Amino acid sequence: MKPRVAFFDFASCEGCQLSVANLEESLVDVLKLIDIVAFREVMKEHSDQYDIAIVEGSITRPMDEERLKKIRANANILIALGACAHLGGVQRMANQWTPEENKKEVYGIANPADIADSNRFFEKPRQKALDEVVKVDYTIPGCPINKEEFAKVLIALLTGRKPPIPDYPVCVECKKKENVCMFTIGKFCMGPLARAGCGAPCPTAGNECEACRGYVDHPHEKAQTDVLEKYGLTVDDIMRRKTMFTYRYVEKPKDGA
Amino acid sequence: MKILMKEDFKAFVNALIGDPSLDTVGVKAKGQKFVFDSLDSADELRLDYDVTILPPKKYFLPQYETIVEFDMSQPFSAKRPEYPRKRVIIGVHPYDIAAIRQMDSYFLDTDITEAYLRRRKNTLIIGSDVITVSPTAFFGDMKTGEVKSGYDLFITDLGDRVSFEVGTEEGERLLRHAANLKDSTPVDLQKRKAKRNSANGKAMRGLMAKPNVWHDLLEKNFESIVWKNQSDKCLACGTCTLVCPTCFCYDINDEINLTLKSGERVRTWDGCLLRQFTVISTGEVFREDIVDRYRHRFHRKGRYLPDRLGFVACVGCGRCSSQCVPDIADPVKMMNMLFESSEHVIAEDGDRDAHSVSIDAKNFDLEGTISLHMPKPATIIRAEKVTEKEMFFEIEMDDHKPLGHQPGQFVEVSLFGSGEAPISVSSPPGGNTFELVVRKAGDLTNKLHLMKAGDKVGIRGPFGKGFDAEALKKKNLLFIAGGLGIVPMRSLFNHVLNNRPDYGEVTVLYGCKEPCEMLFKDEVAAWGQRKDITHLLTVDKCPDGECWEGDIGVVGKLIPKVKFDPKHTIVILVGPPVFYKFVIRDLKKLEVPDENIIVSLERRMKCGVGKCGHCQMSGVYVCKDGPVFNYKEIKDNKEAFK
Repeated sequence: MKPRVAFFDFASCEGCQLSVANLEESLVDVLKLIDIVAFREVMKEHSDQYDIAIVEGSITRPMDEERLKKIRANANILIALGACAHLGGVQRMANQWTPEENKKEVYGIANPADIADSNRFFEKPRQKALDEVVKVDYTIPGCPINKEEFAKVLIALLTGRKPPIPDYPVCVECKKKENVCMFTIGKFCMGPLARAGCGAPCPTAGNECEACRGYVDHPHEKAQTDVLEKYGLTVDDIMRRKTMFTYRYVEKPKDGA
Repeated sequence: MKILMKEDFKAFVNALIGDPSLDTVGVKAKGQKFVFDSLDSADELRLDYDVTILPPKKYFLPQYETIVEFDMSQPFSAKRPEYPRKRVIIGVHPYDIAAIRQMDSYFLDTDITEAYLRRRKNTLIIGSDVITVSPTAFFGDMKTGEVKSGYDLFITDLGDRVSFEVGTEEGERLLRHAANLKDSTPVDLQKRKAKRNSANGKAMRGLMAKPNVWHDLLEKNFESIVWKNQSDKCLACGTCTLVCPTCFCYDINDEINLTLKSGERVRTWDGCLLRQFTVISTGEVFREDIVDRYRHRFHRKGRYLPDRLGFVACVGCGRCSSQCVPDIADPVKMMNMLFESSEHVIAEDGDRDAHSVSIDAKNFDLEGTISLHMPKPATIIRAEKVTEKEMFFEIEMDDHKPLGHQPGQFVEVSLFGSGEAPISVSSPPGGNTFELVVRKAGDLTNKLHLMKAGDKVGIRGPFGKGFDAEALKKKNLLFIAGGLGIVPMRSLFNHVLNNRPDYGEVTVLYGCKEPCEMLFKDEVAAWGQRKDITHLLTVDKCPDGECWEGDIGVVGKLIPKVKFDPKHTIVILVGPPVFYKFVIRDLKKLEVPDENIIVSLERRMKCGVGKCGHCQMSGVYVCKDGPVFNYKEIKDNKEAFK
């Protein structure tokens, strides 16, 4: 029997699921291998009977945690899809301020009662990655994910192998593509710390890597900071660069709760 | 020397581009840098380039290359891929030609890489003099600004005209595409000489340590603080190795298509600066610290490859230093730094340099060369689970021939879709089948554990240097096995038992973590019945509920409990990486001479033939020079027992 797969999303743009939908003709092959029972990007049917849950988005409020825990309980395998699920996404930058400061900034203070914690939709918003709430079996990183890598992970799972997410930096794939190094044209690239697997599309298109896939397992961060300083960036600049997708690595708890 | 005026030269290049039998590549601009790429028109060709981002090695050892195509719907179905049409590369600088000649020596050494040879034979090289010198180039210092061979044609841009030198008959035949070829004049020769002299002069960056002293310089400064100081700035991004024309290490992975029925075994560039380069399936990392990886790269260039193949593996192209973001990859700076800080007298190594190659690709014939990475089909005869984690397999090659192994050798076991893993042969030599014991540790071994009699596997090998059973004859033998070490050791031990009268006293000490992990329980029980061997067993711990009559503690603790003559006994040690340091220390307390200790080491062995680079332990390839070593030969190897 084909494994039943369900897609879910939390705080995110759903761009990663869109990337899956964009597999297009390959999607036909994929559908020969799995039964998709929930995927609101492409279908309206929904079932809670599934083996594999593929979850996009960051976890924001207690109600999201509850929902994720239910998904976890229903699934044999849970896969975090994309940077929001993997790291908390760009929205995690909000964790630099307390929930109250954020609410005040975003919603103003006209009717404080409407956005108080007692309203469960506004309860203690804090961005978390999935693995800070439940056990995550596999992660497909990236903003958005690389659809070829998605297919590779699926193939690995279906053939009983470890998903082949690389543990070397983007520089490796960038060099293999023979790109002009971003540093040589005065751009400040996170490639030396960032996990490869994307195929270095950003430097290939002339843009610096922002480490949307997170860091390799053993990044040499000190050396990267030295390098960026050498190229004229201040510590503040560097920290700003490092908080874009990878605030998780430098976050100091500031719950304000 | 022949001459073509510029317009005629362009017509020549366009004629090559228009020849449907050829894939014509040359140097083109990419942003403000240059790359080798397919040419659409002679106007794209930039003979004034300084250096390309990647060297032309990508045409002989591509970044990604399918080496086996497999069909998983069949029990065992594999074929070699088709290779592309003939290629001509225009504009290869002399230093890159020197590097290609080094590559020839590397891949056409004892085990010929068929895919490499095929590409090499299928590629014509049109060399070109350097017109613009890259600021980081130091081919003047390395004397690689000129080559006498290694090209089919060699051209020099002389302004309004291009000079041609013929290197091979095949190169000369390319000139059929050239119209209005005329003889050169003495003025042309003079102009070319001036261009060369100028380029070579500009490519001198003040390298104080000449290539022929690099070996000694590196050897004497292995522990220098310079390595740590520099590597503290290293991002370990792998760039220096990827852009290097003399870095050849590669990885191999299986990729399965979305049909789940077929796939490809793909060889990709790898690099020793990357952490995962030395990680093995059980999790050990043999070069964890960046300083070790950083140092390894320089030592491989200046010491290990010179020792193995004769040449200094640096051609002075300057790519590493121009592309290293923290600017710590420059060989000129590194060698000068070592040279200046060196208090020792540095010995010269004859006239060794980047040109010291002994192999010429021209002398090799594709006929009869075998594909190094193509496994042979074999059938599982017997599969038995022996512990929670280990399974025993008896395997027969499908050609029904014996494996022909020595005790202590290993094979690469292959399952299409899951890759390959090095597995020690556990049975003694002889017989039409051989035995393996496989621990569940990764994708491939997990899959193997699901297999049963009648299933097919791929086998490459046997590989490496095993135990010399002949040389051990008449000697007293003390075997010490830790954990899985019993598996390779058994190939020798059972050979000794089968030929017991040929050997002196035989003692075996075997330790594992817990009683349930003990392997070959029936055979171990039979040891007790024999009067001609002594044996002791130990476990690290015996959990409640398990039964154990032997010792408790690490295997080294058994050594004082057996009688043996330390001076006249050969000790054979096989165990996990941590085991050696302790057991060897215990043996040295008893004054066992170094040469009487034999070890079998573990590293990440991927290709099995000393090409992919992963198992390298300083200059030693564990897959080829080992895994069995005499301790005396290996004890000073800085990476052996680290």
